[in-house]
Amino acid sequence: MFRYILKRLLQGIPLLFIISLVLFLLMMNVGDPIATMGGRTITRPEDRERLKRQLGLDKPIAVQYLYWLVGNDWTKVDVDGDGIADKPGTRKGILRGDFGKSLVTKKPVTELVGERIPNTLLLMVAAEVVTIFFALLLGIYSALRQYSTMDNIMTALLFIAYSMPIFFVSLASMYVFAILFKRWGLPYLPTVGMFDPEVGKTPAQVLSHMVLPVFTLSVPYFAAYSRYIRGTMLEVMSQDYVRTARAKGLPRRQVVYIHALKNAAMPIVTVIGLDLPFLLGGAVVTERIFAWPGMGRLFFDHVSRSDLPVVMGILMLVAAAVVIFQIITDIVYAWLDPRIRYN
Amino acid sequence: MKRNISLILSLLVMATMLLAACGGGSPTEAEAPAAEGTESTSSGSTDAPAAEKKVATFIWVQEFTTLNPLYSTGWFTSITRQFWNCWAWQYDENNEAYPYLVTEIPSFENGGISEDGLAITLHLRDDIKWSDGEPITSEDFRFTWAMTIDPSNVVSSTYPYDNVIDIETPDPQTVVMKFESPFAPWQSLWQGLIPAHILQPVYDADGTLDSAEWNNNPTVGCGPYNFAEWESGSYARFVRNDNFYNEPAKIDEIFIRFVPDDASQTAAIVAGDALLGAFIPYSEVPKLKEAGINIMTQPSGFNEGLFFQVSEEHSHPAMLDVNVRKAIVMAIDFASFNEDVNLGLVKTPGSFWDSLPFYNDPAVEPYPYDPDGAKALLDAAGWVDSNGDGTRDKDGVEFVIQHGTTTRDVRQEFQAVAQQQLAEVGIKLEILNFDSDIFWGTFADNGPTYTGELDLQEWSDSPYGFPDPDLYYWLCSEIPNADYPSGSNSFFLCDEELDALIQLQSTQMDPAERQKTISQINQIFHDKVYWAGIWQDPDVWAVSPRLTGVKFSGVTPFFNITEWDITE
Amino acid sequence: MTTHTPSIPQLAEDLATPPLTLSQLGWLRFRRHKMALVGVVIIIFLFLFAFGGALIYSEQYANYTDTSLRLLPPSAEHPFGTDTIGRDILARTIYGGQISLFIGIVAVIIETLLGILVGALAGYYGGWVDSLLMRITEALLNIPTIFLLLVMAKFFGGQVPEIDIGGRVFSGSVIVIVVIIGATSWMYLARIVRAEFLSLKENEFVLAARATGTSNAQIIFLHILPNTFAPIIVSSTLSVANAILSEAYISFLGLGVQAPTATWGNMLDSSANYLDSAPWLWFFPGMLILLTVLSINFLGDGLRDALDPRSRTV
Repeated sequence: MFRYILKRLLQGIPLLFIISLVLFLLMMNVGDPIATMGGRTITRPEDRERLKRQLGLDKPIAVQYLYWLVGNDWTKVDVDGDGIADKPGTRKGILRGDFGKSLVTKKPVTELVGERIPNTLLLMVAAEVVTIFFALLLGIYSALRQYSTMDNIMTALLFIAYSMPIFFVSLASMYVFAILFKRWGLPYLPTVGMFDPEVGKTPAQVLSHMVLPVFTLSVPYFAAYSRYIRGTMLEVMSQDYVRTARAKGLPRRQVVYIHALKNAAMPIVTVIGLDLPFLLGGAVVTERIFAWPGMGRLFFDHVSRSDLPVVMGILMLVAAAVVIFQIITDIVYAWLDPRIRYN
Repeated sequence: MKRNISLILSLLVMATMLLAACGGGSPTEAEAPAAEGTESTSSGSTDAPAAEKKVATFIWVQEFTTLNPLYSTGWFTSITRQFWNCWAWQYDENNEAYPYLVTEIPSFENGGISEDGLAITLHLRDDIKWSDGEPITSEDFRFTWAMTIDPSNVVSSTYPYDNVIDIETPDPQTVVMKFESPFAPWQSLWQGLIPAHILQPVYDADGTLDSAEWNNNPTVGCGPYNFAEWESGSYARFVRNDNFYNEPAKIDEIFIRFVPDDASQTAAIVAGDALLGAFIPYSEVPKLKEAGINIMTQPSGFNEGLFFQVSEEHSHPAMLDVNVRKAIVMAIDFASFNEDVNLGLVKTPGSFWDSLPFYNDPAVEPYPYDPDGAKALLDAAGWVDSNGDGTRDKDGVEFVIQHGTTTRDVRQEFQAVAQQQLAEVGIKLEILNFDSDIFWGTFADNGPTYTGELDLQEWSDSPYGFPDPDLYYWLCSEIPNADYPSGSNSFFLCDEELDALIQLQSTQMDPAERQKTISQINQIFHDKVYWAGIWQDPDVWAVSPRLTGVKFSGVTPFFNITEWDITE
Repeated sequence: MTTHTPSIPQLAEDLATPPLTLSQLGWLRFRRHKMALVGVVIIIFLFLFAFGGALIYSEQYANYTDTSLRLLPPSAEHPFGTDTIGRDILARTIYGGQISLFIGIVAVIIETLLGILVGALAGYYGGWVDSLLMRITEALLNIPTIFLLLVMAKFFGGQVPEIDIGGRVFSGSVIVIVVIIGATSWMYLARIVRAEFLSLKENEFVLAARATGTSNAQIIFLHILPNTFAPIIVSSTLSVANAILSEAYISFLGLGVQAPTATWGNMLDSSANYLDSAPWLWFFPGMLILLTVLSINFLGDGLRDALDPRSRTV
């Protein structure tokens, strides 16, 4: 088992390397980070040339990638623009845990990302839990009543939920529950943010600010998950052992919950396990609309300014999390299913 | 048994349906999720604490990147600076300067500016101090200048400090700035100050200010408010500075919330979650007005304009003819666009200096909307539809030109209108839009503007260093090429008369003489149609009626923030 | 993929004669899926709307602006109302629908071709080809799709000039969007195809073909591939819905298809600010996206139930 984990981890290294190379090449060509540094006016030519040099953007792509990867403290850089590289570099490179500094805010990427991870996880995990809970209930119910009127109605509603663009649900729910409800004198929900700064970050505040984004995030995922659970349950229920159990005259409840659900659990757990690391990336659209200070918004803000260190930092973090969760999922799988042995 | 399960299941399913139905916006079924909101209405109300402490929440649609004045010239960073930092002089609601840290604004008359214009002397007030009680001295001015031009600091811009060659500090209250040549836009100096007593030790230790903690946590400032905290992505908090050397502020605390979406910002202001919003798009104005929110506009130098590319090498041949350029302007109905789409809140500016009446004198009037006149001009210039395809042509060249701008809703709307109105006079407009960091990519980066791809370029700009009238990117020396890949003249336009006047105005220390030069440039822009105004682009603020005493300046927006108050 | 629909009438005629072939069995199952039938009807209607509507309104009319007529509510003259610069929304939803459907279908064709190619090569050849292709597939799967879309949209943004097809002008961004949606969504399909190939390539008919000296390309495309059509069709059908939604998301974030070309997605984007003041701005394109995605999902679900040999519920 230990050797298997080690092997998988080693396999992950070239994978992350490929990802970093591809993304770096893409990011180098998405726009000029210096172009918008002048605020509302265009950056002056003198400042452009100076910033390019100071930020190391005048170097060839290969060199920039190398610096990003292993740092530049082993070489000298030209800081004052006299054409002579005379000062030692200060970057350590991502391999030594230095994700670099944001070109826009000059803050270390680890700090920027570190501030956002807890917020994003709070929102996303809540949405995931809500989603799974209701999806399980509904998925099982639909599977047991395949093609019944109720199943058809539920399926239709779920498909509608699944087919709605998230921003549409977000804006509409904000309009109804925050604006109209207030206008009508009903209890209403706050519009944007993670809490009201005037009150502070109290659990009640965060909870009330979470309701709408969690709701919007859950709607499409809920639909997708419950469809998946329905499908898995249907598949399991058509297996021979379930038929045998039924034929033996076991109570329906026992068949469903002991035989079918237990066997359907595995693919469901796998799907959830593989989805989990993506929660780290947050939700770009929802976080933007509800002004939630999460990773998705950080990503969007910085990708629109071509801020390579931050964008690369976020993407590599998520990619690494995916690799690790894949290994964990495999291990859990082996543990759940005694037929699988990794050697 | 069986029945029970299905009953429970169906109940749960019903509950889920209810949740799903809420997405459809059905208000009657929405009690369940809204119930939690009761907490927020009681605890989230601003009314209760207002009795003892006056707290105001403002919304910025963009978060500031850093607070250090050297490291960001972003609009939201600089407007926030009025809370906690200080300028040598501020500007009032008429955008006129008045002394703030200095006793008087230097001029030839008071001896502040030397005869040859190569030395400017500032006399500082003797009662000004940092929020930790340390006096603000000439050393802080010298330090701010030195740090800005220090190559070890990755500052956003060295302008205008790179024009100062030396600063002498004969005593703590006197700052003498030396220049190599007269520098007319000197008033754009000292828009923010950094504390030498805090940052000099940091610089001595690190060799740079880039990673100073003060940049994002400026605990020591010099404005009416002190910086208190900043939670990235959420809010920043400022509390009243009790060490302030002027009249103390009336509002005790200011929260700035960062809300990136326009519609969400409006929702928050309408819901009363915030008292002030900045950078309001015109499309949001009716909703805000309907909710009783005041809309205040303040000229800040910016005008949305069409910039004409006039270059034999890069432009469509028709663009070289001044009458054709004039025809393009006459064929577009700017006035109706402003009346309808911009809701009559702004007018068509005739001049690049529209918001500087002193320099827009005599005032330049925009060309009238006259499609028939435009057609006549085009006919006379030899551009006629000889092959009957609906587009004019000349010598076998079709009149097809490119118009590029950035992806802002109202810009795309203008493009669509212009495309159609030009089609009506037989000009085919191809429209393109780009993200701003792509639009402004340099010649070296293959940016669409600086490689000469766009015959018409649209963006909003102000004189450089407003309220100073300076400008630079029409200079012949700014034309980008392989040897000068950062060149900023995206019009590839070299007009020697214009070039000489632009260089002259930046050295004229006497405002009256400079005014004459700028007026000449103004007339050239108009007569030769190098630039055409589309709409005035003032700062648009949404102000809750609960805020009183509110005035804005286009340069230092919160110049009278200390007089603002909250009423019920 | 809607190309499936024309074969339905013929199949219906054959229904009476036993024994049932696989496709007849599939049709029987499909027919039971009422919502899939509804989906097919709606899709046909949507295509009629987008392409038939073009006979009534010219594209010039769809792009005709008159700012004095802005934000008019639905009326006899403008059945869907007008937008922020006075364009007729009905005409724009017709022409926008063409582009949205085009994006959905072409993106999925790209996706399917890529997915089949990568999956078939990896599954058939195995060894280092498999390792390499699957590492690349995994690498792309390791990045959230929306992140990848945003980065790619910026990468290609503004690089394709306006294109002229048969006298109609489209923003080059249509091509960009199609390519990036196709290029960021083929990975799941590749995995499905690979798995099918892995299990099929050891079958007797493949071994027999190989023994008779049939070329690898023939085996892959003529012998194995047709046996994997069922999951490919299901997956591709559902992808059309995703592609249309992806376009709407990118548009909402300002990186989608640029003016003057309308799509349902970018019509929705600019309407976000008029949620309550001009609901017709978002209602019509929003409903059309919803209907399209919904009916495609219905169809895909029906196809899944019908074509999946493991569901024996007929």
